[in-house]
Amino acid sequence: MGRLFILLGLTFLFMHLHASGNISKYINMEYSYVSQIAIYILAIFTLMGSYLYFKEGNQEEGVDCQCGHDHSRENKKWKRNLTYFLYFIPILTGLFLPVATMDSNIVEKKGFHFPVYEDSDEYSQHQFLQPDTSLYYGKDDYLTLMDNSLKGLVDRDSLQLTDENYLNDLEAIYYSPGKFTGKQITLTGFSYNSDELAKNQVFLFRFGVIHCVADSGVFGMLIEFPEGMHPKNDEWYSVTGELESIYYQPFKKTIPLLKVSSHSKIAEPDDPYVYRQY
Amino acid sequence: MNVQALLQMNTIFISILIESLPFILLGVLISGIIQIFVSEEMIAKIIPKNPILSVLSAIGAGVFFLACECGIVPITRRLIAKGVPLSAAIAFMLSAPILNPIVLFSTYIAFGNSWSMVFYRGGIAFAVVLIIAFILSFQFKTNQLKQEHIEHIQIHHHKLTFKDKITGMFKHSIEEFFSVGKYLIIGALLAAAIQTFLKTSLLLEIGQGKLSGNAVMMALSYVMSLCSQADAFVASSFRSTFSPSSLVAFLVFGAMFDIKNTIMLLGTFKTKFVLCLMAYIFISVLGLTLLFIS
Repeated sequence: MGRLFILLGLTFLFMHLHASGNISKYINMEYSYVSQIAIYILAIFTLMGSYLYFKEGNQEEGVDCQCGHDHSRENKKWKRNLTYFLYFIPILTGLFLPVATMDSNIVEKKGFHFPVYEDSDEYSQHQFLQPDTSLYYGKDDYLTLMDNSLKGLVDRDSLQLTDENYLNDLEAIYYSPGKFTGKQITLTGFSYNSDELAKNQVFLFRFGVIHCVADSGVFGMLIEFPEGMHPKNDEWYSVTGELESIYYQPFKKTIPLLKVSSHSKIAEPDDPYVYRQY
Repeated sequence: MNVQALLQMNTIFISILIESLPFILLGVLISGIIQIFVSEEMIAKIIPKNPILSVLSAIGAGVFFLACECGIVPITRRLIAKGVPLSAAIAFMLSAPILNPIVLFSTYIAFGNSWSMVFYRGGIAFAVVLIIAFILSFQFKTNQLKQEHIEHIQIHHHKLTFKDKITGMFKHSIEEFFSVGKYLIIGALLAAAIQTFLKTSLLLEIGQGKLSGNAVMMALSYVMSLCSQADAFVASSFRSTFSPSSLVAFLVFGAMFDIKNTIMLLGTFKTKFVLCLMAYIFISVLGLTLLFIS
């Protein structure tokens, strides 16, 4: 009987996540069909489970089903109860605990890094820091790919990083920061302080999700606010400024820096994450 | 430790389950189908007698089998119980999460539409699987399943109706789900706790040198417990700081072994076997990536 409740509970959990829309706080919705498949399988398991249970009576443990399992391994009652308890953890916490947003606490644990390629000299083009990196680019195809996506961007005087183009445009900027120097850039994110920075300098990050929150990481930019301003961690800002660059000691690299001309403190967006799109 | 961190841990825990449970469910369903519809005689006929050919055909099967490193565990266990040789079954288990088209394609996309990482990842994985299968076939002569899983092999001499077979299949699948599901939950809890409370970024400071860089990235891929379809995107974000060699090590080792599936393997196979397997894979991935990729 315990098993039936677990199957029912898991089915309900998955259905509830979909119905309430909360599932987007856990996974990239491009893959939502995978968890929809899970609902069907779980529902069938629940139905078959109850059919077997009521047809054959309460003998789910210690029954000689033809599959040849040795069911006696869970014959100790407390052991079985403990195992069942384990299955109820996600059902209960998934249904009743609020969904948490990833923030600076996770950034601190997971760390962050920027995919900077260009050397400190902002006029040099495609000059890679490690000669090895040429390995990654099937020779020219990556260059042409990036150049194509660059073309649309570098001609513009100002860039607006929205939820949809956030990851793509940032990649273009880090790929070739020299080409974006002096441009107006607008972006949104939460603040993250680092000991190595001046008081008015913070990182502005967003968590980017590939499949699920567990594989997310932060993407963003170093921001310089006007003198005297000192944001705490996890405050959301929308900022506009001019792109420059700065040598960042912990990475031993020059990274882009956005000198803010206008900024506004905003509430956490409805969807705090950005998602990787194919 | 505060409430917010605990809630974050729970959110990561649930997200890992949402991501991997579907594959576990598919895995136990397939395991149920194998149990009821595939007999030992059929397996014996399909699997080549020649040990090398049997391993190669197992890898071939892995290539076309879309599975992740946890969903594959119940299927592998079922195949071994049905008489597939240990070395071939493990070759299947290790190759399916990496060498399948979806994973290789996501690697291609993640590294900016480049084939070179795809070839390195696929090539190193293939070589590792061959080495492991070779060692296993000499070292282990028995099936290495935990005692409690060694089942009295029952051949259905008596004719079962189709309906009996279908209910038997589901009965088995549900049974299997409850025997692997608990390990997945423990593994997901552990992985979520590590992401929330352990400063994994410290790992990165150990080193980016030739040997240390590769070892660090392998350790990182182990504790991050990423799905093999997503790990390439995470790896690509390290490309400005870590060498290609260490990224391939990350991509191969992490897809074969991580916290989640270690717990599942420990629940399925004998402890000594799991530890040996892990050590062999670690050493061969480290050695091959250092030797062949700069």
